[in-house]
Amino acid sequence: MEPGQMIRGADAVIKVLAAHGVTTVFGYPGGAIMPIYDALYGSPVEHLLSRHEQGAAFAAVGYARASGKTGVCFATSGPGATNLITSLADALLDSVPLVAITGQVSTAVIGTDAFQEIDVLGMSLSCTKHSFMVTDVNDLIPTLYQAFEIAASGRPGPVLVDIPKDIQIAHLEYRTPLLAIINEPQAQMSDIDAARALLAEAKQPMLYVGGGVGMAGAVDQLREFIKVTGIPSVATLKGLGSITHGTSGYLGMLGMHGGKAANLAVQDCDLLIVVGARFDDRVTGRLASFADKAKVIHLDIDAAELGKLRMPEVAIAGDLRQILPALAMPMNITPWQAEVEHLSRKHQWDYQHPGSLIYAPALLRRLANKLPEDSVVCCDVGQHQMWVAQHMWFRRPEDHLSSAGLGTMGFGLPAAIGAQVARPDATVVTVSGDGSFMMNVQELTTIKRRKLPVKIVLVDNQKLGMVKQWQQLFFEERYSETDLSDNPDFVLLASAFDIPGRTIFSSDEVEEALTEMLAAKGPYLLHVAIDDAFNVWPLVPPGASNSDMMDEMEKQT
Amino acid sequence: MIYSLELTVQQRPEVLERVLRVTRHRGFTITQMQMRMNDDASLSLDMEVDSDRAIELLSNQLNKLIDVTLCKVLLPMSLQQTASA
Repeated sequence: MEPGQMIRGADAVIKVLAAHGVTTVFGYPGGAIMPIYDALYGSPVEHLLSRHEQGAAFAAVGYARASGKTGVCFATSGPGATNLITSLADALLDSVPLVAITGQVSTAVIGTDAFQEIDVLGMSLSCTKHSFMVTDVNDLIPTLYQAFEIAASGRPGPVLVDIPKDIQIAHLEYRTPLLAIINEPQAQMSDIDAARALLAEAKQPMLYVGGGVGMAGAVDQLREFIKVTGIPSVATLKGLGSITHGTSGYLGMLGMHGGKAANLAVQDCDLLIVVGARFDDRVTGRLASFADKAKVIHLDIDAAELGKLRMPEVAIAGDLRQILPALAMPMNITPWQAEVEHLSRKHQWDYQHPGSLIYAPALLRRLANKLPEDSVVCCDVGQHQMWVAQHMWFRRPEDHLSSAGLGTMGFGLPAAIGAQVARPDATVVTVSGDGSFMMNVQELTTIKRRKLPVKIVLVDNQKLGMVKQWQQLFFEERYSETDLSDNPDFVLLASAFDIPGRTIFSSDEVEEALTEMLAAKGPYLLHVAIDDAFNVWPLVPPGASNSDMMDEMEKQT
Repeated sequence: MIYSLELTVQQRPEVLERVLRVTRHRGFTITQMQMRMNDDASLSLDMEVDSDRAIELLSNQLNKLIDVTLCKVLLPMSLQQTASA
């Protein structure tokens, strides 16, 4: 382009995306964003049409989480923008770098209740890391650059840029802005020394690993830290995949549906090293009794998490890629390692299940063992989500996409679409439940349109299973609005979108059905009918300490 | 406990909403507030807030707002009075 050449704001938007290496945008057009869609037409930036803006933004989240890049989505003003909100909140709670661009009515009519006008900037305040409304075309390019910088820096998160229609059609000269780089917190040497002193005196240390490790690109440093120190470890839902499956002393997920060994070891430890995690209530159970004998070292890029719920003895805000190597030291903790090993053996999962009915945990374990190296597993929210976390295993955190913080049903299918676009050669499987699946079922047509080879495992107990489980345990078996026995015929539904599939009922069908699904060249739906009596075990009841886990036997007595 | 905060924020149309929203959501009530516009495109905001929670739960979150350039916590009012007595 010639210097001094004027282009439309809408064209500048697409140029900024291209300048940031964005190759795919997820979105849905509409009146107030039409100039941007016009600029997109014929541009090198690919657009993937969703069938609901929530689906578009979740696909962008899936893209971001599976690739480590910033996801981008478009929506129009009014209902287009309001439909994005749930996905933005999801990205905020799970710290996902996302840039959402919304069209807005022209500046002259903002505040007049114009057609499809809603105060998107106002709505964005509580569900984004930051947001902008562009009111001067000369601010457009710097604002978009800033949006990308904010989304990916520090603790990542979603950034919304609302662009009125007149700004999109106004002309400007394209200039790459000079941008102030956001300063990241730096670890202090005195804090590193203090943390090393605590490590040196610890007899029973535990690592509590969260999603921050993957987001920081510190998986290798974490694995090296574990190798050098030999400290036993647990992970949060978002931390799964950070620690190599089978690592000595790794006890899997902790918390409400964590393993017994994981929770008991944390309750017993004398030093808890918290890495990129935030003491979420689903992790800690009753906070006052969580690891109550332990001193705490808390490492996170977000200083606001340090001391928010548990006051640490040493808090270090900074880049985990630098902090973890600085803390690694050989440790003499053989008796503790043996104790953890004993706990691990004592509380192993039992996949032996009497009867011919399909036991979902066993099916998922088998699926995990069959998946090729380059795989992504997405899931929705509920019982199946916890079974995925408990019984599947992942090579990297970006191989497991689960709506952790917000717990958003309907996440799995669109997230899988985004993951498949980001990693076209990967085997992408989304595990869903019969409740969650229907929440963004319209995205089946996105799979059809793009012929995306997403594999869907639909675990169907004809119930809103997790809510039913709580009704059974804590609400005197009063099953209010959790019966889904009038579900549609899911295989027939999938076939309407040219997606083949089958239903299995019996455990002896599982192996062959999984093989058939994974061998399918295109998309596939495996509908798994399970008994509605199965629940997720073990369970820390609400308000209880993590040492007081319920399991199935206790429930029956 | 009543705390006193001094904020410097960038002049953006929605910046007050951001500060108010975070303050409310994190469990603090504003008991007094003063704002003045500065010549350098910034705003100065002096707030008194009331809460049973530790002030860091608010100040750390305010510090995270992109448009907040400075968030200074003064001593709790009761301690200030003790100090000056």
